[in-house]
Amino acid sequence: MFSNAKINEKIAFALLKIATGMVVAFVLVILYYIVSNGYSAINLEFITSMPRNRMTEGGIFPAIMGTMYLIVGSMAIAMPLGILSAIYLTEYAKPGKTTWAIEMAISNLAGTPSVVFGLFGLAMFVKYLNIGASILSASLTLALLILPVIIRASQEALLTVPKDYRDASLALGVTKWETIRRVVLPSAIPGMITGAILSIGRVAGETAPILLTGAAYFLPRLPDSVYSQFMALPYHLYVLATSGTNIAQTRPLQYGTALILLLIVLCVNLVAVTIRSHYKNKIKR
Amino acid sequence: MSNRKIKEKGIESLLFASGAVTVVALLLLCIFLFRDGYLLFDNYPVSSFLTDTKWYPTADPEHFGLLPLFLGSVIVTIGAVLFSVPLGIATAIYISELANPKIANILKPVTEILAGIPSVVYGFFGLVVLVPFVQNTLKLPTGQTALTGSIMLGIMALPTIISMSEDAISSVPRALKEGSLALGSTKWQTIYKVTAPAALSGISAAVMLGIGRAIGETMTVMMVTGNSAVIPGFPSGLFAPVRTMTATIALEMGEVPQGSDHFHALFAIGSVLFITTFIINIVANYIKRRYRFNL
Amino acid sequence: MPEAYENGTEIEVKDLNLWYGDNHALHDISIDIPKNSVTAFIGPSGCGKSTFLRCLNRMNDLIPSCRIEGRVNINGEDIYSKETDVVDLRKRVGMVFQKPNPFPMSIFDNISYGPRIHGMSKKEMPAIVENALKSGALWKEVSDRLNVSALDLSGGQQQRLCIARTLAVKPEVILFDEPCSALDPISTSKIEDVILELKKKYTIVIVTHNMQQAARISDHTAFFLMGDLVEFDKTAQIFESPQEKATEDYITGRFG
Repeated sequence: MFSNAKINEKIAFALLKIATGMVVAFVLVILYYIVSNGYSAINLEFITSMPRNRMTEGGIFPAIMGTMYLIVGSMAIAMPLGILSAIYLTEYAKPGKTTWAIEMAISNLAGTPSVVFGLFGLAMFVKYLNIGASILSASLTLALLILPVIIRASQEALLTVPKDYRDASLALGVTKWETIRRVVLPSAIPGMITGAILSIGRVAGETAPILLTGAAYFLPRLPDSVYSQFMALPYHLYVLATSGTNIAQTRPLQYGTALILLLIVLCVNLVAVTIRSHYKNKIKR
Repeated sequence: MSNRKIKEKGIESLLFASGAVTVVALLLLCIFLFRDGYLLFDNYPVSSFLTDTKWYPTADPEHFGLLPLFLGSVIVTIGAVLFSVPLGIATAIYISELANPKIANILKPVTEILAGIPSVVYGFFGLVVLVPFVQNTLKLPTGQTALTGSIMLGIMALPTIISMSEDAISSVPRALKEGSLALGSTKWQTIYKVTAPAALSGISAAVMLGIGRAIGETMTVMMVTGNSAVIPGFPSGLFAPVRTMTATIALEMGEVPQGSDHFHALFAIGSVLFITTFIINIVANYIKRRYRFNL
Repeated sequence: MPEAYENGTEIEVKDLNLWYGDNHALHDISIDIPKNSVTAFIGPSGCGKSTFLRCLNRMNDLIPSCRIEGRVNINGEDIYSKETDVVDLRKRVGMVFQKPNPFPMSIFDNISYGPRIHGMSKKEMPAIVENALKSGALWKEVSDRLNVSALDLSGGQQQRLCIARTLAVKPEVILFDEPCSALDPISTSKIEDVILELKKKYTIVIVTHNMQQAARISDHTAFFLMGDLVEFDKTAQIFESPQEKATEDYITGRFG
């Protein structure tokens, strides 16, 4: 009986180890394939030149730039909105129907599939507001997509600021907003920035929403305004891999694009994690 | 009122307005999605949409049958759950209960990497690595199958399931585990008779959110599942190409004339998708809240 | 109840009741607190003494479920009237908390925080900071390192910094909410010295669970029990010949 239990335990633990090993293996295999096949495609020309010869040669410069525009555009919209919402929810909102509605909206927006955001962006920004398929429409759509992420991260950052600071400031006859601005926000900003940076990774990688709101298969030049269509890394990778003119021949380009995209996302996440841990250590002190 | 009070009130109103944006956005999203979806039913009966077994949007007469796409999403998601839930929970148990803290601190960020990889990169990896692998190993006519999609979606759902389950398992009070160990149970008996049941609702919430992610995922499934709109058998359908709701929207939206029945049919599909994930989220939140209460 | 204080009355409270939701936490409190002296609130934990203290600068307003009835006049002005500006009130009635709570800023910025926000010019700051730190008996220890983080100070120094920070706003009344409960005996005695010095210029109200402290520094003492003000009198009177049985039980029990 006792030895049976021991044997069962050995088997169970071995299985748990194997499962964990498999998960780690997935990470390594995916990274290995992309990195080992992609790095030889990457050079200065690949990053800085336009695609040539019906996208079978040349670089991915416009796709990189397009992704950068989307990051800047959607962050410029979502960051202030998200941070202000988080301040409202953590510092001002009183429990009640309104607050419940906002919390509910945030968690449901967070769980809505990205392609549904794409449909919404198409119906509202592209068609109804007549902005057209453009950087602006796509940025607005992506901004809504990452808004819940930014709000949640900012809320968490605000909650880590001790209540003592608020009490101390209020007791000095300082108004609520001045207290938030001068005492609460300075302490919360690193956490907020971390959340914002993490959502940059999201923006860079999302494909379905921009597919419906303005990403172009191929453009001969860079966009000249926010009302232009654009190329973007994830959509470019999709196009090359599934409907390019010569899928087999452009494999190196595909791997290169995938690697650049992966590098952007992982570097951004690394920066965020570094800021977070740096900031945590500082607080402990 | 003093100037200062007016300023404070003004700022509070501005902050409230920002907070209300999410509610407005969700409402607008529902309105625009449902309105364009509803327009389909001016020309095409709801009953056909819900029961027709064919999705032939460009045939004459057109068939906008939801079923093959809905069941396509369902079979891929079921496969993903079968694949990722045992693996994810096992990994979560290993990280929180067995691994020494140093290794756990390495394993956690490693699994987080999976959450950072963009879905199109998963799709690309699936296309160039997993599709040929599935085809050759199982001797299938094509490697673009529901199974391939399930595996990729399963991998993508892993970080959600692992980190949330791990949270749930770690929050089981130590006293409970020690109580069991003190009765002479082995560590494993304690895990599966005491710790895992105590963390069950947290783990279930994790699984629900994983399902929500899987059902809404677009690019990956579109690139690896072959996209043929036929009603899948079960389990044989796992080994054949399949088409999900998400892939249909992304694939066809580029080619439809705006305002056509086909266009509206895609919005109707989007509405079904939205309602499905909406329900899943509410259930997940409900489970999560209950489990917070219990501890 | 002591009559006609020699320096006059600073705070008059009449029939104050307070509820947290359905919980009736303070019952019909009436008390007159004298000017330029130290008044101590004592009583077992949960008796309402801190809650009552926080009524005097309306810090309880921050708790959503909290409801207050009754009158609190400070210098003749009803602080719960509609016209009262809570922000101005808190400038006049400063507060030092149980746990030292300096901001994560330099010593200098901690002190200048209040005056700056209240519109004093940058040029005045060095003098204001120096005076406040001197009154808080911290100047000698930190005058050469005003730019280091306040979080690097010891607990006792932090608490004196918080006192100095309150003084820099030039209040009339200072409320102390168990200011020494997190400190060692040496730091405690330094804070007590500061308080005795401050009463020359300010009205001090201090909540303490330490009866020796109340006996050492206060002129008047109020004893609270389960939301009631049981007895209020000169400190000597309370400790030597309390009128109420409950007061005596509490004092003898703790002194014994």
